[in-house]
Amino acid sequence: MSNPLIKNEKFVQYAAPLFVGVLFMALWEITVRALDVAPYILPGPVAIFQALGENWESLLKALLVTLKVTFLAFFISVVLGVACSLLFIQSKWIEVSLFPYAILMQVTPIVAIAPLIIIWINDTTWALTVCAVIMAIFPVISNTTLGLRSVDPNLLNMFRMYRASRWQELTRLRIPGALPYFFGGLRISSGLALIGAVVAEFVAGTGGAKAGLAYMILQSSYNLQIPKMFAALFLITGTGILLFALMVWLSDLALRNWHESALKTEN
Amino acid sequence: MTIPGSVPDTEDSTAVISSAENASARPVIQARSVDKVYANGTIALKGADLDIKQGEFVSLLGPSGCGKSTLLRIMAGLGDVTTGSVKWWEQDYDVVGDKGRKLAFVFQNATLMPWAKVRGNVRLPLDLEKDSGPACEQKIDQALNMVGLSNFGESYPRELSGGMQMRASIARALVTEPNLLLMDEPFGALDEMTRNKLNDDILELWQANGWTIVFVTHSVYEAVYLSSRVVVMAARPGRIVEEITIDEPFPRGPEFRVSQNFAEYCRRVSESLEKASTMGQEQSQ
Ligand SMILES: Nc1ncnc2c1ncn2[C@@H]1O[C@H](COP(=O)(O)OP(=O)(O)OP(=O)(O)O)[C@@H](O)[C@H]1O
Ligand SMILES: [Mg+2]
Repeated sequence: MSNPLIKNEKFVQYAAPLFVGVLFMALWEITVRALDVAPYILPGPVAIFQALGENWESLLKALLVTLKVTFLAFFISVVLGVACSLLFIQSKWIEVSLFPYAILMQVTPIVAIAPLIIIWINDTTWALTVCAVIMAIFPVISNTTLGLRSVDPNLLNMFRMYRASRWQELTRLRIPGALPYFFGGLRISSGLALIGAVVAEFVAGTGGAKAGLAYMILQSSYNLQIPKMFAALFLITGTGILLFALMVWLSDLALRNWHESALKTEN
Repeated sequence: MTIPGSVPDTEDSTAVISSAENASARPVIQARSVDKVYANGTIALKGADLDIKQGEFVSLLGPSGCGKSTLLRIMAGLGDVTTGSVKWWEQDYDVVGDKGRKLAFVFQNATLMPWAKVRGNVRLPLDLEKDSGPACEQKIDQALNMVGLSNFGESYPRELSGGMQMRASIARALVTEPNLLLMDEPFGALDEMTRNKLNDDILELWQANGWTIVFVTHSVYEAVYLSSRVVVMAARPGRIVEEITIDEPFPRGPEFRVSQNFAEYCRRVSESLEKASTMGQEQSQ
C-alpha cells in the first residue's frame, strides 16, 4: 500500500505500459507454443528477437536508411510547414487561396502518387523524402496556422495600442502563443514522416545499398523469413514510439514553465 | 512630432487640476453622439456624449451590460464607433502614443502573457516602445512596488492569485506613466483591504502626475471616493443618464469615507443608479 514506487508518478507512467507489453508478449509466446503455430505463419516473440539478433547488421543498416529519410522529411516538413503558416497569416487572402492546396496534398493517397514522384526524381533518397514530406507537412501547417491565429484578442489590442510593429506582434505575441499548437503538430507529423518514408519505400521497392526497413519486410515476406519481417516491423514501431517520446520531451521542455500541457496541476 | 495647433505638452505642469475648479481644462476625450451596434445587432451604446478633461478622474457606473466596457474601449481606440465621433486631445486617434499623449488600458481581466514572467509582462510596453536601460528597470521596479508585487517579478502569471494577476496588469499599465489611464473594473477581483490601498495609491499617483483617469466600477462607494465626476449609465440601449460632480477636495483620505458628505454623495449616486436600472427594465419589456 505504501510502496513508494507505486506513488511515484513517473515510475508508474513507464512501468504500467511496460508491464502490459511484457504480459502481452508472454501470452503471445505461450499461445504460439501451445497451439504449435508454425513460425512462418506467426512467430513468437522469442523467435522474433532471435531473428533480430541474427540479422542485426543488415537490419541496422536498413534502419539507418529509413531513419535518414524520416528525419530529412520531418525536418523539411517543419521548416516548410512553419514557413507556409507564416505566409498564411500575412493575409486572409493568401490563406484562402492556398490552404485548399495544403488540404489537397493531405487527402491525396501517398501510394497513388509515389510512383510518379519516383519516376520524376532520380535520386531515391530524395524521392522517398518528398513522399514523406507530402505526408507529414499538413499537421505542421494546420496546427501552426491555428496557433498563430489564436491570440488573446485583448493582448492583440494591447500590442496595437502600444503601436507594436508587425514584427514585434509576431515574435513577442503570436509565436510564443503558437508553440503549444506547433508542438502538437510535431507529435503527429513525426509519426507521419516515418509512415511516409516506409510507404514510399514499399512503392519504390529499392534494394541494394539503399534498402530500408520496408524493403526488408518485402524481401523477408518473399523468402518466408517471417521472424525477420516481424523484427523489421518491430524496429519501425520502436522508432515511431521513440520519435513520439522525443517530441513529447521537446514540447515539455519548451512549455514547462507556462503551458497546461506541460504542467502538473496542483489543486 | 508637433501637431499644428496643438497645445504644448503639459508634462512639466505640477499643478493638479480638478475639473470642478477648472472648467476650461484642456479636453482629453470628446465623444459626440456615439452609437455602437455590434455585428450581432446588440445596440451597446446609443447617443453617448462624454467629455473628459485634462486631470479629471471620471468613473463610469451602471448595471451590468450597459456598455461601460464598450464605451471605455472606444475611448481607447479599440473598436470603431458605428456612428458619431471621438477625438483624443482634439485630434484623431493617430496622436495617441505621442509624447504627452500616452494611453494605457487595464482590461477587465488581467490579460497577461502566460509565457512571460511578471517582470516580462510589466516590461512589455517599454519593450514595444523600444525603451530600455537602467532607467527602464527602475520604472519596472517602481511599478511592481506600487502594486505590492516586488517579490513576484520572477513568478509566472499562473503562480499568482487572480487578484495578484490583476495587480500585475495594473503595474503594466502604470509603467509607461500614461497621460490617460483607462481602467475597466480593475479592482473588482480584490479584497477590500487591497482595494482600499490601491484606491489611495491610484489617487496619489493621479494627483502627483496630473494624469487623467477614466475608471469603470460597480461600486458606488469606490466611484464616489475616487472620482471628480461620476457618469451613470443605463442599459438597453446603453446610454449616459446622469453625470454627478463630486465636489470634494483632493487629497481624500479615510476621513472622507466616513464623512457626512461622502454618505450624501453615495445616496445621490445610488438613487441615480437605481433609476437607471429600472429604466433599462421598462425598455426591455
Ligand atoms: N463583442 C461583442 N459582440 C456582441 N455583443 C457584445 C460584444 N461585447 C459586448 N456586447 C454586448 O454589448 C452590451 C454592452 O456590453 P459591455 O461589455 O460594454 O457591458 P458592461 O457595462 O461593461 O458590463 P459589465 O459591467 O458586466 O462588464 C452587452 O449587452 C453585451 O452583450
Ligand atoms: Mg464590462
